[in-house]
Amino acid sequence: MNAQGFKRLALAAILAVAILAPLGLKNYGVYLLSLWALYAIAAQGLNLTLGYAGQISLAQAAFFGIGAYISALATTAGMSFWLALPLAGLACFIIGALIGFPALRVQHHYLAFVTLGFNVLVFLVLRNEEWLTGGTYGVANIPRPALFGLSLGGPLAFYYLCLALLVLMTAMFWHIVRSPWGRAFAALRDNPERAASLGISIVTYTLLAFAIGSAAAGIAGAAFAPLVEYIDPTPFTLSLSLAFLLMVVVGGQGTLTGPFIGAALVTLLPEWLRWTEGYYLMVYALAVMVLMVVCPSGLTGLFDMARRRWERSP
Amino acid sequence: MQVSHSLKVWALSAGAGALGLMAASAVVPAQNAKTVLMINAIELSGGGATVGTNWRDAVDMAVKDINGAGGILGRKIIVKHFDTQSKPGISKAVITKALDEKPYVVLGPIYSSSTKVNMVVTRRAGVPHIVGSEAASITQTGNPFIFRTSFGQSASMPKLANYLKDEVKAKSVAVVWVNNAFGKGGRDNAVKELKARGIAIAADISTEVQQADFSAEVVKAKQSGADVLFAYLHEEESARLLIELKKQGYDKQIVGETTLTSQKVLDLAKDAANGVKGHVGLTADANIPAIREFARRFEAAYGRKPDHNGIKGYVAVHVVKEITERMGKFDQKGFADALHCTTITTEQEPGVLMDISYDKNGDVDRASFLVEVRDGKQVVTGVLPKLGNAVGC
Repeated sequence: MNAQGFKRLALAAILAVAILAPLGLKNYGVYLLSLWALYAIAAQGLNLTLGYAGQISLAQAAFFGIGAYISALATTAGMSFWLALPLAGLACFIIGALIGFPALRVQHHYLAFVTLGFNVLVFLVLRNEEWLTGGTYGVANIPRPALFGLSLGGPLAFYYLCLALLVLMTAMFWHIVRSPWGRAFAALRDNPERAASLGISIVTYTLLAFAIGSAAAGIAGAAFAPLVEYIDPTPFTLSLSLAFLLMVVVGGQGTLTGPFIGAALVTLLPEWLRWTEGYYLMVYALAVMVLMVVCPSGLTGLFDMARRRWERSP
Repeated sequence: MQVSHSLKVWALSAGAGALGLMAASAVVPAQNAKTVLMINAIELSGGGATVGTNWRDAVDMAVKDINGAGGILGRKIIVKHFDTQSKPGISKAVITKALDEKPYVVLGPIYSSSTKVNMVVTRRAGVPHIVGSEAASITQTGNPFIFRTSFGQSASMPKLANYLKDEVKAKSVAVVWVNNAFGKGGRDNAVKELKARGIAIAADISTEVQQADFSAEVVKAKQSGADVLFAYLHEEESARLLIELKKQGYDKQIVGETTLTSQKVLDLAKDAANGVKGHVGLTADANIPAIREFARRFEAAYGRKPDHNGIKGYVAVHVVKEITERMGKFDQKGFADALHCTTITTEQEPGVLMDISYDKNGDVDRASFLVEVRDGKQVVTGVLPKLGNAVGC
């Protein structure tokens, strides 16, 4: 089996597990899987910006928060979730494109600080502009949507909504990275000067990388609000942006399956380790450190290494 | 040996299946006819670890006491502690997991933003929920299953404002508050009550959770010329503020509500806390034998004095015991109904430590204390009686 076939098989296997897994789980397990699906969407967005286009961003939580607040405020005011969802994506696409402008002038850790500043700015707006966002009191009683009269209020039904969003977004990213856009992003990451000499517009593709990555976070955030049913500014801080970065790096940046695995590790592993009681966060931190030392290319890199050895075996 | 493709497919599927298994880590039902399960969802890591640990240890102590005396209606209590990490998102996951285990009641959390997430879930499940949070909005949503263990801000701030007007004779106040659900709720209620009594707000200073440097805030407070500085922050930040106030030679009266004079703040701020006055709903230094005995036993068991959160946790479990025994059965809906508009005296249940009343919203009324810090210790200087204005009863 070649690498492409292996990736397809891996995605198919993940999808099969994702569809069947919640059937034997109680509400807690279903909630975690829903959270995993939404975090995986946001991580995919960051993966496009960072892994494919090489532009580091520490503002993914800000876009996740903007999407969540647009969805929460719109649906509590009576707007349909199905309108609020694309609205959140569109708003984050536009704001993401604007945030991309600094990336035209600064790179690497300088860019990280610019985006970090944006994350802090968004948090302060969410917290201090009480007339709009409810401030520290947050937005309560966020309704879950219905589809063709069928309520998606139950945990399982809402999980399948999250999974459907994940599948749609994955299909979009699959298409993008295999299209000329994806190759342009990779060229931008590997050698911007050569990319420009081949006629690739650095300005356009840099802004697009930010805009699409941000829109993905906005869409994930729009579904996060009805999942949690109450939001305030505290989840959307730098620590969540770092968690998204961790998902991409640990999963394997620049790979389609990496964000799935990274999101699973970051979301599910700490919960799975709760049996260690007071030590679970320490064990989790240690596991991530060991993984990064053993395999800097992330879990996907580890799997690739195992696959190559397997294929070489007589 | 050639490994077949189908074998690879199976191996890959099994690997992906680990995802599902990780999510399936939940749930082993932990109660039977001889036990009753309580879930304690509380802050054991993150910014709220200090307050949550006090609450957890006191809950354990109460459970041990009650089980030693035969349990509730002959059933032993099993309590499971879950760490919310002081984060609302994690708290939601924790409470979802907790309810999968079919607890009789849920205890905690203390951080108001986590409580706001959790109370939606417990209400839907119809599970009584006893919290340590103080944000006023928690009991203003008509949730029939939510109950406090201490004053909400809408009850404590009028008492504090009366104290500032009548005892301290303040004409103007500088308010220093932490900008989250807890601090903003306290600030809004305090400012409303102070203005209603003709006391001017000379400075309105917001601070951040886990803020380390308070030098700019102290400069602002000094420049405001206020008669009194009122601080409404979490424990660690309160201690840092007091240390900075002492360093800059702040010479006006410093006043707080519960947290500013709590044991943790006194331990951290040391002599910088001397002279601070305040109103507290609960204190281990109250001249009440039951509270003194609880504090002595807590210190013997855990090597430190309990703060008000410890007292709240201890009382919460005993409230569950008393109401259940009054009903004579384990009935969650009945429990919620029975706890509204009721009073539990220490004669009826000594474990509540002080007579406690609930109104129809789940808010608490009981006597409270005026305190002053002298030589690093909290000294009770006065006792304020119950308000006696239970809402809707």
